[in-house]
Formats: sequence, C-alpha cells, structure tokens
Amino acid sequence: MQEKTRNFCGRTRREFLWETGCGFGAAALTSLLAGDGFGLLGGGTAQAADFDNPLAAKPAPLPAKAKSVIFLFMYGGPSHIDTFDYKPTMVGMDGKTIEVKTFGRGGHKNQGRIIEPRWKFRQYGECGKWVSELFPHLGGCVDDIAFLHSMTAESPIHGSAMLMMNSGRLQSGNPALGSWLNYGLGTVNENLPGFVVMLDRSGGPISGAKNWSSGYMPATYAGTVFRAEGSPINDLSLPAGSTRERQREVLDTLAGLNEQHRQSRVDNTDLAARIASYELAFKMQSHAPEAVDLSQETAATRSLYGLDQEQTRDFGTRCLLARRLVERGVRFIQVYSGGAHNDHNWDAHGDLVVNHTKHAGATDQPIAALLTDLKQRGLLDETLVVWGGEFGRQPTAEYAVGTGRDHNSFGFTMWMAGGGIKGGVSIGSTDEIGSKAVDAPMHVKRLHATVLRQMGLDPNGLSYFFRGLDQKLVGVEQVEPIAEIV
Amino acid sequence: MVGARLPLLFCCVFLVGALALIGPAFIENCAAQSAAEVSFVRDVKPLLARRCFACHGPDVGEGGLRLHGLESAVAELDSGSHAIVPGQPDESVMLTRIASEDEFERMPPEGKPLSGAEIEILRNWIAAGAPWEKHWAFVPPVAHELPIVDDEVWAQNPIDAFVLARLEDADLSPAPPADKRTLARRAFFDLTGLPPTNEQLEDFLADDDPRAWERLIGGLLESPHYGERWGRHWLDLVRYAETNSFERDGAKPNAWKYRDYVIRSFNEDKPYDQFLREQLAGDELDEVTEETIIATGYYRLGTWDDEPADPEQSRYDEWDNIISTTSQAMLGLTVECARCHDHKIDPIPQADYYGLLAFFADVTPYGVRGDEETNSQWDLSPPEERKQRQELRQAIKSIEVEKTSMEEVGIKRMTAPDQRQSETPDRQKLLDDKLEKFLNPSEWELYKETLARLAEAKQQLEKLPGADMVLALATCEPQPAATHIMQRGNPHVPGDEVQPHFPKLFGDAAPQIPASSPDAHSAGRRRVLADWIASPDNMLTARVVVNRVWQHHFGRGIVRSSSNFGELGTPPTHPELLDWLSLWFVEHNWELKSLHRLIMTSNTYRMSSAGNEKALAMDPTNDLLWRFDMRRLSAEEIRDAMLAVTGELNRDLYGPSIFPRMSQEVLNTQSMPGQGWGDSTEAESARRSVYIHLKRSLLPPLLTAFDFPDVDASCEARFVTVQPGQALTLLNSEYANERAEKLAERVAHERSDLSEQVARAVELALSRPATEAEIAAGKDLIARLDAKHDLAAREALRTWCLAVLNMNEFVFLD
Repeated sequence: MQEKTRNFCGRTRREFLWETGCGFGAAALTSLLAGDGFGLLGGGTAQAADFDNPLAAKPAPLPAKAKSVIFLFMYGGPSHIDTFDYKPTMVGMDGKTIEVKTFGRGGHKNQGRIIEPRWKFRQYGECGKWVSELFPHLGGCVDDIAFLHSMTAESPIHGSAMLMMNSGRLQSGNPALGSWLNYGLGTVNENLPGFVVMLDRSGGPISGAKNWSSGYMPATYAGTVFRAEGSPINDLSLPAGSTRERQREVLDTLAGLNEQHRQSRVDNTDLAARIASYELAFKMQSHAPEAVDLSQETAATRSLYGLDQEQTRDFGTRCLLARRLVERGVRFIQVYSGGAHNDHNWDAHGDLVVNHTKHAGATDQPIAALLTDLKQRGLLDETLVVWGGEFGRQPTAEYAVGTGRDHNSFGFTMWMAGGGIKGGVSIGSTDEIGSKAVDAPMHVKRLHATVLRQMGLDPNGLSYFFRGLDQKLVGVEQVEPIAEIV
Repeated sequence: MVGARLPLLFCCVFLVGALALIGPAFIENCAAQSAAEVSFVRDVKPLLARRCFACHGPDVGEGGLRLHGLESAVAELDSGSHAIVPGQPDESVMLTRIASEDEFERMPPEGKPLSGAEIEILRNWIAAGAPWEKHWAFVPPVAHELPIVDDEVWAQNPIDAFVLARLEDADLSPAPPADKRTLARRAFFDLTGLPPTNEQLEDFLADDDPRAWERLIGGLLESPHYGERWGRHWLDLVRYAETNSFERDGAKPNAWKYRDYVIRSFNEDKPYDQFLREQLAGDELDEVTEETIIATGYYRLGTWDDEPADPEQSRYDEWDNIISTTSQAMLGLTVECARCHDHKIDPIPQADYYGLLAFFADVTPYGVRGDEETNSQWDLSPPEERKQRQELRQAIKSIEVEKTSMEEVGIKRMTAPDQRQSETPDRQKLLDDKLEKFLNPSEWELYKETLARLAEAKQQLEKLPGADMVLALATCEPQPAATHIMQRGNPHVPGDEVQPHFPKLFGDAAPQIPASSPDAHSAGRRRVLADWIASPDNMLTARVVVNRVWQHHFGRGIVRSSSNFGELGTPPTHPELLDWLSLWFVEHNWELKSLHRLIMTSNTYRMSSAGNEKALAMDPTNDLLWRFDMRRLSAEEIRDAMLAVTGELNRDLYGPSIFPRMSQEVLNTQSMPGQGWGDSTEAESARRSVYIHLKRSLLPPLLTAFDFPDVDASCEARFVTVQPGQALTLLNSEYANERAEKLAERVAHERSDLSEQVARAVELALSRPATEAEIAAGKDLIARLDAKHDLAAREALRTWCLAVLNMNEFVFLD
C-alpha cells in the first residue's frame, strides 16, 4: 500500500503539488484526482466529500501495534536516579567528592560532590521493579511498562535537547515526531487535529512553538495547541455574540456565492476543496468542544485521575483529555508536565526535593490513572504511552551547597507502555551512580524509531524530500527500533 | 559474477533513501509515454541510481562494476564480462542479470525485481548505444533561434514564440486573453501584492490607448509597493527572520535594515548581479557604502545557538546554513549532502562543499553568549565617535567582569536555592537583599567602589551621540585558519586541507585570491566568490533568477524545483525559453524591471485562466502553458488585501518592524508569555505584512494559517494548502471580524441604500461590480438574520461583509 501513497517523488501527490508551488497545484489536481473519481469538468455542487484531506487516514505500510501515541513530556529533565533508576550503592555516599565526568549547563566538570538519591525505593509488581517513593501510584503499573535506562541525547542544554527529543535534531526547522506520524499515517478523525499539544498551566516550554513545528513540511502537519479551558483551539469559538445558527446562515450564503464562482472554473478542484473545508470547520466547532467536555466522565473516573485534588487536577485533566482524544482517533498527543522556567518544571537546579516532590506529586496519580484507564477500556494495547524529559540529571551537586542537580544527557531514563510494548522489563543501564549509560546506550533516535515502528511505519523508510535529500526523522543512517521491548 | 551479496552498508542506506523519490509509477508513466525514445537523464540515470548504485555506484563497486559514470559502467568486470556493451543489449550482462528468473542470480538482490517497463528502458537505452548525456543545467545556456510559429500575430514577443511553438506542436491553442478587469487585478497583485483601488481600476478601464497595458505595468513597477512584494520573495529565499531561534530566541537588532535594503534594491531596480555582490561581499567591494554594509546582514539572518552543546559542531552548522542558503538561492544547487560525503547524484564531491566553505572562512560566528554585538552589529557613525564609544564599552565590560566576580564570591557562600536564584532574572533582588551579608567589610567596600566606577563609565557613554548600528558582518577573520574536509561531516575529524575553489562541475579556472594585508578587515575571499556567482559566465546564476521571476508571475517556474537545478530537480518545461531569457536578462544589465515588462507584455501572460476540455485532457498540469494558472493569494496578500478593501491600510514604507496584537492564548505558548513581542499602535498595526516582526518561535497565526513558510531554511516556493483551520481563521478570528466591521463601516459611510451597501462591499473586495445574484444573496442573508435571529441591520451588514471576505473569489486570482 505504501507505493500508492508515496508514488510521486516519495511524497503523496498532494504534498508534491504543494511543494511545487501555487498555480500548479490547481491544475495538476485535475488530472491526478481524475483517477479518484473526479470528472475533468465535472460540474455539480461541491460536496464535503470533495475535500481531499491531507490528513486523511492512510493504511500503515507495516503491521502496526499502536494507533495513537501519548507522549508525556517531563519538561526540564527529571532525575533518573531519584525516580526509576535504582542506585542502592549510592546510599551512604552523600557529600563525598568523587572523580566523575559530567557535562551540563555549568559546562564540563571532572569531579563533584555526590548527592545521594533523596527518596527511598521499593519493589513493585511481579517484575519486582524498584521505584522511588515519588511514584507510589505508578509503582502499581510497572508490569505494563518497559523502562529504558540507558538513553542518551546529544545536548545537555534545554533548547537544543528539547528540539532533539521532539524532532530528532539539535537545530530548529525540522518536523516534530507528531508531524511525521501524521504525514505517514494521517488521522482517522477529520474533525479534530491529528497532532495535539497540551501545555502546562505555567506556560509553554522554551522555544515554544518550535517544539511542535512541522518544519519544512506543510503547516497541516504542525501540532495544534489544545486547551482544557476556554476555546480548545485558536479561532474555534464563534465570535462574541454570534450563534451556531447564525453562522449556518452565513455559511449557506457563502456556499451559494462560492458555487456561482466555481461554475465557470470547475477544473480547479482547490475551489471545491475550499468550499468543503468550511463545512468541515463547522463540524469541528461542535466536535472539539465535545471532546473536552469532561462532564461526560463519571465521578469515579474524575477521581481516578485526581481531578478532585488541587495538586493533580491540572495534569490529571490533561491526561483525561488525552484518553478522550485517543478514543476520538487523534494520532499523536503530547502532554507537558512543567512549563515556563526554573522550578515551574523539572529543572531542579536549586532544591531537588522541593522540585521533584512538586512535579512527581502532580503527575504520579494522573499517569497511573491514564495507564489503568486505557487498560480497562481495552485501549492500552493500541495506545503507545511514552514518558520522559529531554535529558536526566547528574549524580553530583551543581553548587557547593544544596541538592540541585545539573543536566545530564550522557545517560537517563525514559519509559514506554502499551501499543505492543512488553511490560515489566528494564533494559540498558547507567553506571553505579547514574552518570552515564554503560550498558547498551540508546540514542533518542532509537526511541523515535521504536515509536514509528510500533505505529506501523518503517523508520528508515519514512522520508520527505527536502533540500535535495530524502529527509528522515531518524536521520541519514540506519536506526533500529529497540527490539528488546516489543 | 556481477555482484556479490553483501549486507547494505550504512552509507548506502542513505543512498537508497535519497533515490526512493523517483517512484516506480513515475518510471512506468515515462515508459508508457515514450517507449521509443528513452532519455538517459530522465529515465535511465534515476533508475540506475535508485536500484543499482547502492552496490555499484560512487561508494561501492562490487564485482568491479560502478554505474555512475560511462567509463566505469562499460569497463570489464572482475568476471571478465561487461555489464553494458553499448549498442548490444544481448551482450550486456546487466540485462541478463536483471531479467533473470533465478532468484539467486537476479539483480538487484534486495527489494522487488525491476518491472518489465524498467527493464525495457534499460534495454532500449543500451540498444541506442548507451548515450551518456550531461545534465541540462550543467551545460551553459545556448542562444537559441526564435522558433517559427504559424500564428505570428499571437507570438508578438519572443516569449510567446517559444510558448506557442510547443503548443502548436501539441496541436493546442493558447487561451484567449483575459478581460481588462481580470488583467488589472492580476497585475496589481502580481507586482505589488495589493488589489487595485477603485480609482486605479476605473482609470485603466477608461484608457482605450493600445499602450494602456504597458502604462499600467510601468506605473506599478514605479510603485514602492513593488519592492515590498518582490523583496518578500527574496526574503523567503534567504530565510529572513529577526530572531535567533533556540532556547532564548533572542532578537537580531536592526535586522529590519536588511529587509529595507532588499525592498529598496527592488524599488531602485538595482542590477541583480550587483544585488548579489553586495550581500556576499558588501564589505569587500571597490566602493563600500553604508548600503553595501547593510547588505552583509545577509550572513546574520540564520538561526544561532547561543548555548551550543558542541561549539565546534555549531560553528559548522552556521557555515552550513550560509552555504546551503547561498547555493540554493543563488545557484539553484543543493550541496548540503556533500557536507558528509560526495553527492550521490550531482557531480558535487565533498571537497567542493569544503571548497565553498573556505570562501566563507572569514565569516565569524553570529556572536557568543553575552556579546552579540561585536561580530554582528556594525557602527556606521563617524570614526572618532565610534572609537570613543568602543573604548567606553570596553571599559564597561571589564568593570562588569570585576563586579560579577566579586558578586560570585558572595554567592558561592549562599545556599543552593539562592545560588540558583542568582542565575535567574531575580539575581539583582538577591544581591540587594543578601550580598552585603556574605561579603566581608573590605570586600564590600571594594564592591561599592566598583559600582561607582561602572556608573560613571555608563554615564559617559550615554553622553555620546547614539550609535548608528546595523546588522552586518561587523567582524571577520582576515587570516582564517586552513579549511579541512571534515570526515563524514564530523567537525572533530578533519581530513585533507582544501583551498577555496568553485565546484568542479562548473569547469571554471581556480580562483585567484589576493593576499590580504595584515590590517585587513576580511580575507577577501568572498569578493572572489561574489564576482564568480554574479558573473555573466556563471551558467546557473542568471537562469536561476529568471526562472524565479517566471515562477512568481506564473505560479511555477520553467524549472519547478526552482532551488534545485540538479539532477534530482524537475527538468524545465521550456528549456530553450529559459536559456533565451537568461541571456536576454544578462544583456539587459540584469535589470529585473525590464524582465517583468517583457514577461507581462507577452500574450502568454495575458491569457485567461479558463479551462478547455481538450487541453485539460492533454496537459492537465498546464506544462505547455495553454492558459494562465489561477492562484491563491499568499498569506501576506490576504491580510494586506483585507486592510486595503476596508480602507485601513497604512501605506507607510520602511522602518522598524511592527507588532500586531496577538491573542493571549498564542502568547501563552511561550515559556515567558509575551516575551519579545511588542505593542504597536492601531495605525502601525495596519501596515503591510512585510513589516511584521518575524520572531522564529512566534510567527503570526494569521500568516502561518495561509502557508507563510518556516523561516529556518531557504524557501523556494510556498505551500498552497486548503484546510479547515483557514476557514476558522477567516470566520472566527478577532482579526477577520474586525476587518468585516471596518468594511461595514466603510460601505455604510459611502452608500446609503442597503442594496448599494451590499453591492459596494463586493465591489471593493473583488474589484468588479456586484452581480444581481450577489446583491440578492446579500439582501437575503440580511433579511434572514433579521427575521430569524433578530439581528440589527448594521450587525447584519457586518456579517455580510464577513461573508464577502470569505469568498473564494477574494482569495483566488484568475
């Protein structure tokens, strides 16, 4: 099936037309769409069906395990050794200055003062996974989770590391993971965006929209910021004072006017597409608000996600929305834990305990609820959940005094669950103090390759022609998905 | 044995990917279209590249076979036989192997076997003597005779002759001319990006002189709005933006002066070769002026990481950004692949990439964190003043260093959260509250003295007249270090040294670089490169720019991949015309306005956009130019046209960028909501879109909804998408609703009768009288809104105006 969608310079026909510029698209479609049941000089009234949605669902070229992805982005970089990467031999080392190579915001260092993990660990589940006290709820889900303890990234600096986790590159201008999935697979619900981003209440991450940009691909594939309150999407709400019925009157009149205009230009299918796009927009206006209407959820569900507690309400709401969006066929949903700067996110440079207590406290129950809820609804098998930040944190102190840890891209932990991922496994490891990955280091690209593969895409085959090159999310060189966890 | 079965190597994987873009369907189409005549460039080379090069190409020559060049392709193999024997398909082992039924014998070993059509292509090509043609773009333009056509009346200018000749060959006729009204709208948007005002339109319609059309074009070319429209095309190519991207996405001060330079250059009809020279080497020309210095802002437009994890990598990324932008925008070449290895398809070896880089070796990084001025801000004020200012700045900087180190002494004694706070915007507060406590008395005294000295120096600086700063190549490396080929593109693994040299595919003599004097500002290499690129003898520069001009007039270039004239690009639809235009352009002193005039006075440009069944069936993509293609307005045109028809448009030219209002929801996507976004007055906000501040991480949603490009990379052609988000924007956004309100105000002011008001809105928006049906539709909408929704007449009129601004005819041009 892949060739059918990728038969024109490695792109879908639509994209090929877009890339080659304006007028060409209009004319070229006439012939290209002729085979899809569009008469050359068809006439007749444009129907919604005429809208050749670039996000229309496409069959996955390879057998797919997952249909949707929820990426829980722990912005700022959670400390792996205080969460899921158990380092029992560090106990008792607190305050000791040791030789260790680190590289963070504060530059390269060769020694540092150990900060012992600040939380106790205990074992959970049949797999006996050691999890810190920060995640008592999530501890109950470990048998569904595959932990990746030897992640590495190319930068320990937020800006470039965020871009790498989101788009595979250190530089801006490249499509995000969600853009690639929508490009490769489309989305099954045309009434909702295919790539949704939900930001923390405190603000966006640094570099803002660059993190969900479609880069060199059309903006169709860019992430759409989705809000739990107010108008879920920009310009979705009717202008003040207007009503749906009134807008219907406008659309009817507009359709009539556009139809008159089209009659002498029927070979330009973009005109019909634009007429249809107004009907689709009208439908979106009712579908998107319905998707965020949490009053449809039972009290038990709301409570499961922690909506009844101040601490967990915000992130819990977004996790619950993520589940509702998955149910409605949204392809890729990114939920940010943490926003803005400093301790508004996981960037614990100052007081590790205060910082991580706050962010783990806000997310532990909602994430556990999300996994549990997806599972009980039979959705976990087809929903891939990814957890992690742009990097981890160092075993040593950043300052002469205090518990703050600097960034660490030499080794950190992420985890995946659902969507065909094996539960109860842990792969890779860092050294005894978590300073770097030692066993089976895994570049961020391996994670991306795994996500694409679980979604039925070939990470080394999915490409987009730009700048004289077949660009890929995973880059030029072959990248293998992480076989041990599928 | 032609090839051994080995696993694909890493480097080959890229190759297979890069070549997958020539889809099988494409090949089959070609074969079906022209079974008899096989084109090496179009049919054979892509096929070889896609299916064979991985093991028998530039990198690997398994079994002794390399298919990327004629000599190696026909050479004797390790086995003693020959893969290709020109003229003798039956002797050619390649054909036996690809057609073999035996799975272990058949080539290629990986993937699906070649299709019958593909095998036939190769067979026909070998039978025809395996001709190995040079790629069309890598042969200098040839002066072609004007073709002879039947309809000499229609072919009134050379462009028409070239276009008509192909149409007549295909037994097609050109579309009839468009009516005057359509033409006027077409020309106004095309040259200025704005619709005609009613007066301008009436003047033209009333002008019966046969030269009325020429006069109209002449007038539009003299309008300063011409530079705003055509300058923006250039800004797309040089990925113009006013911030650096990355974590802080900090502003590039004075970037707007470069934008104004571009607009002015277009308005003054600066010869294109000079325009390129100024941007590439404005600081190295015989006559360096303020204008040419501002032009070197060209080097400062890209993204820049102020906190790179790997500074060396970042440095080379910056160079790569300049090389790829320059080569794509000016030469129509994509050379970036050669950063890591020889280009797989185009004859661009890795040495040529670094040969180009060597020309830019004196280009310093944009800045270092904390100093974005030294390298990138050029002070144009008088030398004496500048010197004083520099000295004071230097003094301030060193006192600040002293001050900071004293503060750090105290901070190091504080708690971790306080230390953390010292790195935040709250640092000053921390110092005010606590520093004294953590310094001993003598340290504190010294600190206070330093503060006093700092204040004094700052005061002196303030007394000097303000600097006249511009974004430019302010500091260069006059004696740059040697340039090396970086193995696999890794900046930490230098290989052989390279000298600045032109890509070998041009076949030009080695550059002569004058030795730079010890006190030189720069290395003098960019001037040599600029002269070579902007030379009439450069076989690509003129072709690339005339093709772009054509692209913006007709919606697509003669070469559709207008920044890629290489072998992976699309071949020209009218190669002779392209050559003819490029030679004509150079003869006419590289003047763009002459070229516009030539193109727009052709009959080709004046054709109607109407379809006809025969032509649509034969040439649905209008490759042969049997009609003028409709186009959707660009993002800027849509916004500017709205302002124009409501009468709000502020036509002020040039100056610092504007910050139209952005909704809080949009600002909230930033990590510091509102940071880096200003607040312009209503009048300023009604200026043209080209003046909107371009912040890389916060592009205006109204523009991006309509395919404003990503500003991190050179953009050769905008996407044209149709999506429901655009409908939401034009129906629901505050911006669209405000414009509808202003339009309603205007028509209510200008006309008293409801019918006339309804009609007037259409007339203003679409540059034509409203039809009876439209007036009826408008009145009917207003009546329904009144009857069913109890909407006041004025509000109903506003709603009608909103509908008009949403019409297809408002955003699509015939």
